[in-house]
Parts: sequence; C-alpha cells; structure tokens
Amino acid sequence: MNKKRFNGYLTAGLLITGILVLLTVIGAFYTPYDPTAMSGAAKFQGPSFAHFFGTDNFGRDIFSRVLKGTGTTLTIALATVAIGAVVGTAVGAVTGYFGGAVDEVLMRLNDALTAFPSILLALLVISLVGPGNKYNVVLALGIVFIPSFARVTRMSFASLRDTNYILGARLMGAKSGRILLVHMLPNTMRVVLPAITIGFNNAVLAEASMSFLGIGVTPPDASLGYMLSEAQGMFTSAPWYALFTGLMIALLVFGVGLIGEGLQQLEREVA
Amino acid sequence: MKYAAKRIFTLLLTMIIVSFLTFAAFELVSGDPAQTMLGTQATPERLALLREELGLNRPFFARYSSWLAGFFSGDLGVSYNYRQPVWSLIAPKLEITLCMCFVSFLLITVISIPLGIYSARWTSGPINAVRTAFNQLCMAVPPFFTGILVSWGFGILLRMFTPGDFPGLHEQFGASLKYLFFAAICLSIPRIAMTVRMMRSTVIGEMNKAYVRTAISRGNDRRGVLMTHVLKNSLVAAVTFLGQTMAEIVGGSIVVEQVFGIPGLGRMLVASIANRDYPVVQTIVVILAFWVVLTGTIADLLNQSIDPRLRLGGHA
Amino acid sequence: MKKRVLAGFLALAVALSAAGCAKGNSSSAPASSAPNSSASAPVQTTRAAANEIVVGIAQDLDESLDPHYTVAAGTREVMFNVFEGLVKPTSEGNLVPAVASDVSVSEDGLTYTFTLRQGVKFHNGDPVEMQDVLFSIERNAGADGSAALIPALESIASLEGEGDTLTITLSEPNPEFLSYLTLAILPADYDKQDTAPIGTGPFRFVSRAAQDSIVLERFADYWGTPANLDRVTYKIIENVEGLVLGLQSGALDLVSHMSGVQTAQLKASDFNIEQGTMNLVQALYLNNAVKPFDDVRVRQALCYGVDKHGIIDLAFDGYGHPLGSSMYPAFGKYFDESLTDYYTHDVARAKELLTEAGYPNGFSMTITVPSNYQPHMDTAQVIVEQLKEIGVTATILPVEWASWVSDVYSGRQFESTVVGVDASDMTARAMLARFESTSGKNFINYSNAEYDALFARAVSTYDDAEQTEIYRQMERNLTENAANVYIQDMADLVAVRKGLEGLTFYPLYVLDVAALRWAK
Repeated sequence: MNKKRFNGYLTAGLLITGILVLLTVIGAFYTPYDPTAMSGAAKFQGPSFAHFFGTDNFGRDIFSRVLKGTGTTLTIALATVAIGAVVGTAVGAVTGYFGGAVDEVLMRLNDALTAFPSILLALLVISLVGPGNKYNVVLALGIVFIPSFARVTRMSFASLRDTNYILGARLMGAKSGRILLVHMLPNTMRVVLPAITIGFNNAVLAEASMSFLGIGVTPPDASLGYMLSEAQGMFTSAPWYALFTGLMIALLVFGVGLIGEGLQQLEREVA
Repeated sequence: MKYAAKRIFTLLLTMIIVSFLTFAAFELVSGDPAQTMLGTQATPERLALLREELGLNRPFFARYSSWLAGFFSGDLGVSYNYRQPVWSLIAPKLEITLCMCFVSFLLITVISIPLGIYSARWTSGPINAVRTAFNQLCMAVPPFFTGILVSWGFGILLRMFTPGDFPGLHEQFGASLKYLFFAAICLSIPRIAMTVRMMRSTVIGEMNKAYVRTAISRGNDRRGVLMTHVLKNSLVAAVTFLGQTMAEIVGGSIVVEQVFGIPGLGRMLVASIANRDYPVVQTIVVILAFWVVLTGTIADLLNQSIDPRLRLGGHA
Repeated sequence: MKKRVLAGFLALAVALSAAGCAKGNSSSAPASSAPNSSASAPVQTTRAAANEIVVGIAQDLDESLDPHYTVAAGTREVMFNVFEGLVKPTSEGNLVPAVASDVSVSEDGLTYTFTLRQGVKFHNGDPVEMQDVLFSIERNAGADGSAALIPALESIASLEGEGDTLTITLSEPNPEFLSYLTLAILPADYDKQDTAPIGTGPFRFVSRAAQDSIVLERFADYWGTPANLDRVTYKIIENVEGLVLGLQSGALDLVSHMSGVQTAQLKASDFNIEQGTMNLVQALYLNNAVKPFDDVRVRQALCYGVDKHGIIDLAFDGYGHPLGSSMYPAFGKYFDESLTDYYTHDVARAKELLTEAGYPNGFSMTITVPSNYQPHMDTAQVIVEQLKEIGVTATILPVEWASWVSDVYSGRQFESTVVGVDASDMTARAMLARFESTSGKNFINYSNAEYDALFARAVSTYDDAEQTEIYRQMERNLTENAANVYIQDMADLVAVRKGLEGLTFYPLYVLDVAALRWAK
C-alpha cells in the first residue's frame, strides 16, 4: 500500500522551476539584447523571431528584460525566505523550547507584527534604510515573513520538547544549544521545508504587489512586479508585455508550488 | 468570563503595540508632513507655523499619549491633508472595503468548502493530478494581473461593468455590489484555491482516522459518515483557516482597489503613508489590527461552540 | 444537517447576486450598464442630455481647499473654476477684470485703482463687499505679522477701500504686480474654506469624497457669462490604465495630461485628442554646488551628451516642445527660442569637455527622481542610456515625493534630479527668481554674479521692454553656463469625447470647464 509512486508533482515542479532558474542564470551572463538598450525604431513590436516577447515602449527587448527581471525577483524572494526562515526558526526554537515568559512576550510581539499591515511594515523599513533598491526590499519583506516562520516552527519545537528522546538527551546532560541544533532542528525540517516553498511563493507575490504599487523595486532594478505595473499602462498597445510578464510570475510560482505538493506527497508516503 | 477578559486584554494590547510601533516608525522615517503639505511653496516661516499648528514640535511621548487619550475618548484626530475629521474621512472607505471583503469571503466559503469536500474523493489518479495542478495555477496568478484581465474582459469587452466608474455605495447599492463582485473575484481566486486545498487535506486526514474506518467497517453508509462526523471535525480547521483568510483579505484588497479604482481603505492607507498623514495612518493601522484580532476571536468562539473540547482554553 | 447549511449558503449567494443584478439594472444610470452594440455611436448620450460631464483626474485633491493655502497644481487646476480675484487670466495669457470691473494704474506705477463690480455674489448668496476684498488681500500680504503668502504683496504700502473704490499704493513699482491680484476673493466671515470652499466663480463647490470624486455645479447667480454645463464631476483615478479604461468604457468624458502611449489606445471615432503643453520646464537639474557639477565644463558636457529630441521621441512619442532655458513658450515675449538648440547632441564635444575638466574616463553620478511621476522616471531612464555614450555612468535613485520635497528641494541633498518646474502665477519673474544666488528656492545652488546683477536690474526697472530684455539675457546666462540640462515643456494631451466642445488651453496649469459644452 505504501509502494513508492511516481511523484509527478515533484518531477514537474522541479522541471519547470529548473528551466526557469537555468534561463535566469544564463540571463545573468547573456541576453539576446541589452535589457536597457533603447531603440526608437523598434517600439511596440509584437513577438517575433527577433524579439521572442516583443518590444516595449522604449523599443527594449522584453524577453531580455523578463530574464533579468526574473533574476531580480528570484534573488529577492530567495533572500527574503532565507531571512524569514533563519530568523523565524531561531525565534521559534527559543520560544518553543524554553517557553515561559520569553515565549509569552515574543508571541505577543509576533501577533502584533502579524496584525501590522505588511505593506506598511515593508514601506517603513524601506523608508528607514533607503528607497527602492532590491536589498532594502529584501530586508523589509524578510522582516515581514519572520512571524509566520516563527509560529510554525514554535509549534514543532514545542511538541518535540516533550518527546522521550529529547527528555533523554536532557537527562544525559546535553546542553540546550546542542539539543536544539543537533536533535530538534533536523526534525523541524519536515515542517519548515513546505513552509519555505509556500513562503517563497508568497515572497514572489508580495514583492510583485509592492513593486506594482510603486513601493518596491524601481528602475534600474526592474523586477517582474515593476514591469507588470509598467505593462499595465500599455495593455491595449502592447498586451504581450503584460501577458508574458504575468505568465513568468505565474510559472515561477506554479513550479515552486508543484514542488511543494511533491514534498507533501513525499511526506505522506514516508509517514 | 475569564476567557472574554483575556481576549479583550489581547485585543487592547495588540492595538496599543501596533499604534505605538507606527508612531515610533514615523519618528524615524524621513519626510515631514508639514514639508509635504507645503511642497515647493515651503518657506521656513510657513513651515514653522504649520508645524506648530499640527503640534509636531511636541516631544514624542507627549504626542503619543495625547493621541492615545484621544483615541479612547473617541477623537481620532483630523487629517493633515484633507483637514477633515479622520473618522468621517475613513468611514465610507471602511464600508466599501468591508463590503468587498464580505463578498469575497462569501465567494470563498460558498465555493471552496463544497469543492474541497468533493475533491477529497480523489487521492490519486489523473483527475487528482489535474485538480492539484489547476489549484496551484490559481494560487500562482497574482491578483492584480487577474484584475487587469478581468477589467479588460468583463469591463471593456463584455461591458458588464464600467471599470473606473465605481458607483457610490449609498447611492447605488446594487450596482456597487456588482462592481465589487468583479474585484472580489480577483481577490478570491488564489484564496479559493488555498482553502480548497486545506479543506481537502483536512477531510482526507479525517477520513483516514481510525474511527471512520471503524464506522464504515461496521456498515455505516460512507456518505453518512462523511456528512455527520468527518465534516464536523473538519469544520474546526476550516473555521480557523477562514478566520485567517478573512483577516488577510483586507490586506490583500489594497492592490485590487488600485486596479479597479475602488475608493477603499487600502488605497487611503498607501496614499496617507506617502503623504505622511499620520492621524489617518494611525487610525487605519489600528483598525486593521483590530480586524485581525476580531476575526481570530470570532473563529475561536465559533470553534468552541462546534467542539466543546476546546472550551477550556486548551490547544486545538 | 451540514448539507442543509451548505444549501442555505448557496441559496443565499444566489439570492444576493440576483438581487444585486436586478437592483443594479434598475437603479444605475442606464448608459453605464447597457451593452452597446454600435461601436461608433457616442456612449454617453445620457450625460449630454443631462448637461453634465465627468472628468478623469489622476491626482487627488488631498489638501486644504482654501485657495490661499493650496499648494498642489492639481488642486488649483480644478478649483480654478470656483474662485476669482480682482482680475483673472484669459486663455491668451492676459488679465481681465473679474471681481473688479475696472482697473487703472498711475503713471509712476505706484498706485492701482480698482472699482468693485456691482452684483458679484459669493456662492452662499452673500454679495461681495469691500471688507471681503480687503480681507482676502491682507490675508495674503502677511497682515498679522506672519510671512506673506505672496511675497510680492509685501511691497504694498497702503490699502484703502472707500465705497466701491479700492486703492493700493506700492512702495516700489512692479510691472508684474497686477498678476498677483488673481488671488481669490473670499468672504471675510467664513471659516470653512478648508473643506467647503466658497468663491465667486462660475462653478460652486458641492462635495469632495477623498480619493473618489469632486463635484462642482453651475453657479446660477454668476455675474458674468454663465457656464454651459450644469454639473462637472471629477473622478479620481490614480491608475494610468484606469483612466484609459474609464474613457473607453464611457465612464469619463475628458482626461488631461495623457501620454502619447495612452491616447494611442483610444478610438479615433469616439475621441478628439487636443494638444497643449504642461507649461513647465522639465530638465535634468544639476546641483551646482556638488562636484563635479561645480565645473561649468562638466555641466556643458552633459548638455552636449543628452539628446533632448531623442528623449522626446523615445519617452514621449514625439510629443513635447524642446527647451533651452528656464522658460517655456506660453510666456510669449519672454521666451527665447534661439536658446533651444544652443547645445546640439555632440558626443565628441562632450567627451572633449570632460577631458578638459579632468574626467577623461567619465564619472559616476546619481539622478534622484520622484518615483510617482512616470514621465520623469521614463526621461531619467533614457538619460542614463544616453550618458553611457559619453562615459558617464548614471544611476537612478527613485524617491517618494515627500522625500523629494524634503531632501532634494529643501535639503538640497542630491547630485541631479529630473523634475518639472512651473510658475504658479503667470510671471516670468517666478520662473527666473529662483536662480538668484540667495533665493530660498534656489535648490540647484546656482551662483552666478552676472545673473544676480541682471536680476537686481530687472526687478527695479518699471519699463516693460527693458525688463523683458533683461529677462531674456538671464535666460541666456542660464543656458550658456549650463545651469541645468534643459529638456522640454511636456505636451499636454487631452482626450475629449466627441460631442464635447469648447476646450481652450491656458498658459497655466488649469482646466477651464466653464467654456465646455455639449454640441447640439
């Protein structure tokens, strides 16, 4: 009954995401055209062999820009999730394992941060550290993502705390730090990994929304979200700009989402 | 009673922390409201006068405590920009955003709960694969993108509504609801997908439990078991999730409001932050915090009435 | 049990939507929900019948509506129709008597005599009296010891109102003084101008819903030619595509300040596109106090390196009037067209100048741009590309408007910025005064002794011809010293629904709706 089935989701997800990442990595070194090169003659051309995704209002090649933009989006999303996961897990570990007053205080703070509209929080951090460039967006979003990781890992740590083998380790005199790192952390991975895929997708969409609203990334660091907001303004003249950019965002999130599904299926089979 | 007291305490504490953080944040953020209001007409004298008028020169704690005092006595302040009392400015927008969120919530609940339960039938096979893939796709498309497509398709092409022409909520309630409906669709699609997924996995989880297998092996009708026991037990998770969703929708409405040109709370928040209109930002942020805690509390209360085991304040 | 609950939900949903649809169809204006099969027939015939229009604007009027305190151009653009001064501007740029029926100036230019017009009423029905006029002027002249809202009014030595005659005596002559008296005449005993303004114009203010709409209605007791339309609703749509969608769907009848890209999306059969200018100077403004821009050769190199015609073509679809100095064509006699191509696009010359100045390999710089102004962001992007050719690496630094005002404009913390500068009143002096080295508005830190000397002469002379000549010399000074890299006076494209006539362009950032009417 627990025969290992072909995990279609994982395969498909890895395939899609893999191709996109590969394209993006190649795009970091080579693009068919310089993404910022403008050409008055080539404005608003539809998709063709010369320009796979067509050109925009400045005559720039959309395919090259999308490649670069996906790179920016990927970087931001990965960095955001990294910050959220690392700091969030640390917070979750401390509160889940030690409990008590520290737990209460940090959890109240956590709840308050969750109640804080993420856009406001992100905007405030950005205003503090400096406007519009990608590092600040990462910092802002990373902070926004910490609470959810903290909550998820806290439950995991808290439930593991009272299991027999942890109690055993403590009885044997192992230090808290060692217990947390060596014994508990690997077990929380089962919970954190799916949270990371979900978090990644949320990060992509959050960054896209913020850039769309004009408070995220802005030129020259064009991300997919920013490009989509530009594209929206010329939907009638050049629908391909919006369509391809939106498609890219959707594909990226879709691919990672499938990976998440695949991981869950893996979990079910192992369980 | 103790529970109610605890909840109210949490509510107040959250609102105070949030408002304090917002106030503190504005201390650190660059851009001065007086400066922004006067723009390129700012001269040192006019700036000084305006800052005095707005009370910006007082120390931080003095300002915060007077705001807090005002808040608890019902005085939410006056907008720096519009010169109107904040509540009269925000109330119509709150109505609109809440309307849109309720429509969205209704859509989500009505569609995803039955759909989630129904799709629990398939745990493998091609139908399941297609369903899962489609679900992921729905979660992957950003709401503002669907917004562009929906405004275009339903608005311009099919002329079912007029994008950019939001009829007033009081003047034309029905037409407004229709307009909000299209915006709510965009807001709801990803969340419907998420809820279906949650519902399905919860139901499947329940179905796999020992008591179900026992009931079925004893001869109970599968569907009957589903309807009476499984659903009831799944409801708790569903209510919690929907509560969170309700809280998140309000935040997510910001982008959709921009695309559809709906004069709601989210748009006001973004603009007020940009204008450094502190009184408005403070009030909206506190309202949002209140909303989050309120939905959480309602979800908790509902769960407690469904499942008495939760009543003693234990963890679900 | 659950099944019934679910069924109940579904029924409720169906019922609500059915009710919504039914109610919607009966209570909403028929034109907005009725499907239109004929693409070329005017969509908004109902509004023409009701004699009203809906104008789409991209900026909310998010400030005090008190005209003496209004700062944003977008607010003044709308409220222009609500207020009038003793005189008011015409579309040709002249001043005509409004609340005053007659104006005369003494030979020495020191005494202005106004006759109050009979029968002018405020929107609340009260007649305009001398005390209202005195109140309005004093409010702007810094009566209570505070700084004057209009600095030029500080030269008023005395203000006397006798019966219907107002006499203003100045301490020194100022040929541009009259244009300052376009300031709005407000009732002396009314304190709600912030939120419910009252003026004397052809339209009266009805309501403002933040981020939603402003409504003006025709004032029946207007002293002059009454407006044609009964009602004008301004819908605030901050989203660029939203304005286009609004026009296409029939929700809007008129939208100003559109770009070539946007107007291209509109059907020629439904709309006329009128072209005016924004009446501002868009430029790459350089902070003259910061290295390397303190060297005139570097500034000149940038002028040779930036191709303004290229910018107009690429970013603005060819719409726009190139400029060479801080003055735009609407100023007529003051505008010196010959300065426009003083700096041709010459990459070699640019590199030469840079080498001379000590930067043979170019340098890096930042361009701070207010991120909410797409035209300026677009322009900056083109400039970055153009500057690459001369070896200058420019990075765009987008900032929020609030930060731009406090850091760039007031704090002068920037290297260069792309922005449009206008004159809030129709005086050449307003455009040029800011570059005088001690001016509080000299955000580019321009410091040129010759310029300052010329300015001192210009404000002290009463001879119009001489003053005009001096102003032109000042413009030339700015160009020759490459104070900034001047680009253009941006085009103002207005989409007007077919059937709506009477649009006139003013040399100011205003939209005169009193002249608009539906064709019979």
